[in-house]
Amino acid sequence: MNLHRLAANARQPRLATACVLLLTIAGCATAPATTTPRTTGEVVTPPTASSPAQPPTVVQPPLLPEPEPKAPVAVEYPKTLAAAGAAAPVLALARQAEQSRAAGQHEAALGQWQRALRIEPRNAFLWHEIASTHLSLQHAGQAESSAQKSTSLARGNLWLEAENWRLIASARRLALDTPGAEAALARAASLSPGIAASAP
Amino acid sequence: MIRIQSPLLRWLLIGLAISVSVGVVAFALWLVQLDKEVRVRYAGVKWVLPAQVYAAPMDLYPGAPITVPDLRRELDRLGYRLSDELSGPGTYQMAVDELRVDIRAFSFWDSQQQEQRVAFKGDASGLTAIRAMGSDRSIDLLRLDPMLIGSIYPSHSAEDRVLVKLDEVPPLLPATLIQVEDRGFEDHFGVSLKGILRAAVTNAFRGGARKQGGSTITQQLIKNLFLSNEQSYARKIREALMAILLERHVSKHDILEAYLNEVWLGQDGNRAIHGFGLASQFYFNKPLNELRPAEIALLVGIAKGPTVYNPRRFPDRVRDRRDLVLQLMTDGGLIREDEREVEALSPLGVQNGKAGGVERYPAFIDLVRRQIKGLYREEDLGSEGLRIFTTLDPRAQERLEARIVADLPDLEKSRQLKTGTLQAAGVVTSVEGGEVLAMVGDRNVRFPGFNRALDSQRPIGSLAKPFVYLAALADPGRYNLASIVVDEPIELRMPNGSRWAPKNYDHKLHGAVPLYAALARSYNLPTVKVGLDVGVDRVHDMLQAAGLQEPPRLPSMFLGAINASPLDVAQVYSTLAANGYLTPLLAIREVMTKDGKPLSRYSFQLKQTLPEGPVYLTNWAMQKVIEFGTARWAVSVLPAGQTFAGKTGTTDDARDSWFAGFGGDRVAVVWVGRDDNKPVGLDGAAGALRIWGRLMRDLKARGLDLTAPAEVVDAVIDPQTGLLADEGCSGTMIMPFMADALPTRYADCANAGQSGPLDWLKDIFR
Repeated sequence: MNLHRLAANARQPRLATACVLLLTIAGCATAPATTTPRTTGEVVTPPTASSPAQPPTVVQPPLLPEPEPKAPVAVEYPKTLAAAGAAAPVLALARQAEQSRAAGQHEAALGQWQRALRIEPRNAFLWHEIASTHLSLQHAGQAESSAQKSTSLARGNLWLEAENWRLIASARRLALDTPGAEAALARAASLSPGIAASAP
Repeated sequence: MIRIQSPLLRWLLIGLAISVSVGVVAFALWLVQLDKEVRVRYAGVKWVLPAQVYAAPMDLYPGAPITVPDLRRELDRLGYRLSDELSGPGTYQMAVDELRVDIRAFSFWDSQQQEQRVAFKGDASGLTAIRAMGSDRSIDLLRLDPMLIGSIYPSHSAEDRVLVKLDEVPPLLPATLIQVEDRGFEDHFGVSLKGILRAAVTNAFRGGARKQGGSTITQQLIKNLFLSNEQSYARKIREALMAILLERHVSKHDILEAYLNEVWLGQDGNRAIHGFGLASQFYFNKPLNELRPAEIALLVGIAKGPTVYNPRRFPDRVRDRRDLVLQLMTDGGLIREDEREVEALSPLGVQNGKAGGVERYPAFIDLVRRQIKGLYREEDLGSEGLRIFTTLDPRAQERLEARIVADLPDLEKSRQLKTGTLQAAGVVTSVEGGEVLAMVGDRNVRFPGFNRALDSQRPIGSLAKPFVYLAALADPGRYNLASIVVDEPIELRMPNGSRWAPKNYDHKLHGAVPLYAALARSYNLPTVKVGLDVGVDRVHDMLQAAGLQEPPRLPSMFLGAINASPLDVAQVYSTLAANGYLTPLLAIREVMTKDGKPLSRYSFQLKQTLPEGPVYLTNWAMQKVIEFGTARWAVSVLPAGQTFAGKTGTTDDARDSWFAGFGGDRVAVVWVGRDDNKPVGLDGAAGALRIWGRLMRDLKARGLDLTAPAEVVDAVIDPQTGLLADEGCSGTMIMPFMADALPTRYADCANAGQSGPLDWLKDIFR
C-alpha cells in the first residue's frame, strides 16, 4: 500500500492525533507513561516492553500529515436533529415522538424514536432522545446506556456529550447513585470550556 | 258413542294414551334440556384464534434504498395486484415514470394508517419522491401493510383462522353462500322441509347412499360446532332439532357470521384452515375484501369438501365447481351474465406452493415461538387472536434463502460431493437494535424440521480468535495491533494429563508476525500464545461479555473448541459490530390484541459490555481478514470502496465451515457442514464465506463507519518491528492505537530513531 493513499485514508483522525500528541506532552511531565514490562518469554511486545523509561515521544511523526492549524474555529456544535442534518423521514418521526411525549405517551414515543433509529442507526441525537425517553419511563439503566451510546457516536460534538452526561447524572440519581450522579455532572462541566471555545 | 267392548283393547288404548303422554312429556323435557344445551354451548363457543405473526412493515420514504422494482416485488409478495388503473385497496399501476399504489389501511401499533393512493418515483439507488395522488402533497414517510407470515397455535389443536365480521366481508360472499348452500336461509326456521324432501327423493333414487345433504346453513353450523361426523338418523334428528332451537335464540346475521368463521376450507399439513378470512390468505394471499367474484365462487365451491376440491391438487375439478357456482350466482341475480363470462375466463388465481407463513419461514417462526413462550400463556397464544409484530425483513430473508439454495450445490460440485450432502444455516441481524432480520435453518428453506440456526451446536473454530485478540488489546500497556508474536510450536499439558500440540492450518511456521496479521491470516500458534499470556479467564470473560452463554475455560477455546449455534455467533459478533454494546437479539417488536389494541412492546436492551477502543482495534484487524487475510476472496464480490469486517472459522478436518462478519448496518453468520459431522473438505473461506460475501452484496449492506472513538489515534509504524516509523523506513503502515499507549520507540530504520534535534525535549521529561 503506498503512503500517499495511507495518508489520504488517515485524513479523518489527523486532528485527533495532533490533539492527543499535545495532550501527551502536557501530561507526561507529571505522569510518565511507563508500563511495567512483563517478560513471559513468549510474546514480544516491543513498543513498551523494552524501553520502559522512555517518555512518550514528542517528536513530530513525520509521516502523518501536518495537522491543520486549529485556531479558534468558529464552529458551533449542532444542537438538534435538524441542525445535525437528519433526513426528512427521521424528522417526521421526531415530530410524532414529540407529540407522543407531550401527550405523556412515552412508550409510544420510544417506539417512534426506535423506528427513526432503523433509518439512521448511527445518529447520536436519536440515541440521546432514546436515552431521554427511557429516563421519562424511569428506566435508569437503559437511559444511561443509550446516553453512553450517543456519546460514542457523537463524533466530538462536545455539546451533545455534555447533554449526555447531564442525562446520565439524572439516570444515576434515579438509581439512587448520588456519587455517580455527581461524577457525571462533573464530566458535563468539564466539557464546558470546549463548548464555549467553539461558540461563534 | 263408541263403546269399547273388549277389555283388552281398552287397556291397550289406556296404555297407549299414558305412554304417549309420558312420551310427550319426556320429549318436552328433552327439548328443554337440548335447548339449554344449545344456549349454553353456543354462548360458550370460543373461536380458536391462533396468534397471527407479521413480518416487519416496509418503511417507505424519499431516500430509502428501495428501488421501484424492489417495491413492486414487495407489493407482489403482499398480494397487491397489477392493474391498468387503481381499483381499490391492494392494487397498483405502472405509469410511465412512476409506480402508483392504492395502499391498504392497517392498524399499526402506534397509529391507524388509512387507505391511501400514493405515487412513487425512484432511480437506481432507491426512492426519490413520494406523492399523495390527487393532491401533489409530498409524503415524508409511510408504511406498507406488513406481511402475515404465520400463526402460532397450541400443539394440541391445529385449528387456524382469521376472524371476520359479516358487515366487513364483501356482500357477494354471504349472498353466494346462501345461493349455493341454503336458498331458503332467510325464511326457514332452522330446517328446510323442502330441502329434506328433495334430499330424501334424491337419496331414494341413489339407493340409500346418503349423498345429498339437504342441511341448512344453520344445521351445518350445529354439526360443525357441536356434533360428530357420524352419519346416523339419530344424529340427523338431533342436529335438526338443535338447529330449530338455535334459530330461536340467535339471529340469522349471527348464524351466518359464525358459519363464515367456522367452516373448514382446507388443510396445510396438520394445520386446519377454518373460515373464509384465513382461506382467502391461504389460497389467494390477500384479504377477503379484495377477492374477485371468481375467487369468492371458488371458496364457496370448495366448502363442499376441501379434500376432494383441493384447488392445488385438483385444479380441473375445482374449476368446474367454481364455474358452476358462478352460474348459480348469475341465476340468483348476484352477478350479470357478462360478468360471469369474464370471471369464468379468469385463472383460478390460487397462489402456488404453501402460502402459509408457518411453512414459508419455519426457522424464523420457530424463533418467534420460543421468544414468545414465557411471555404469554399457551392457551392465550392459541385462542386470543393476538397479533405479533416481528422483526423479520422479508427482503433479507428472501436473499438469504436464495443464496443458500443457489450456492450450496456449487460448493458440493466444487468438492465432488453428492447433491444433498451439505447442510447450511444462516442468520442476518441489524447492527443497532439487535433485530433478527432473516434466518434459515435448513437448505430446504421451507422445511420445518431441525432448525440448525438455533439448535445445531457446533465448534466455532477460528470465530473465537477475535476474542483472544480483544482480550489482549484490552491491555494496551502490553499489546497493540503491531505487537510482534512469534509463530512457533507449542505443546501444553492439559489438566487431565493429555498433551495438546496445536498446529497452524497450513502446517507451517511463519516466524515473527504482527498481532493484526496473525488474526487476519488466522494463525493458530500465535493465537494460543497470546491467549495463554492474557489467560483463559480473560478470554472467557470477553466471550461472555459479548453475549455467549457459559463459554468453557480451557486453552482449546482459543482455537474455537466452543459449541455454539449460528444465532449464538450472531449475538457475539453483533456486540463487536455495535462498538462493544451488547443488545440481546430480538425477533418480536410488538404485540396487539385481535381488536388492534396495543398490548406490549419489546424494546431492545442495551449495555456496554466490551471496551470501545479495543473493540475498534479488533474490528480493524478483522477488516484485514477481508483486505488481505483468509477472506480476501470476498473483495471480489463486496462493493468497492466499502469496508467490512469478519472472520473465517474452520474446525478439525474441515467439518464445519463458518463465516461471521458485519458492515455498518448488518451482521451475517453462515454455517456450512454435514449433519453426520463428517469432514466436508471446505474451510471457512472456501465454504461459508462464498455465501456470506454474496449475501452481503445482495443485502446491499452498508460498509463500516470508520470513525475512531476518541481514545484511539493513528500512528505510522514499521510493521516488521511494531515500532514507530518515519520517512526513513519503507513499507510503513498507519495503524490505530489506544491513545494512552502509543508506541514510544522508533524503529531502527527511522531517522528520528537516531539522535534528533528534539532530543533535548525528551531529556526535559526524562
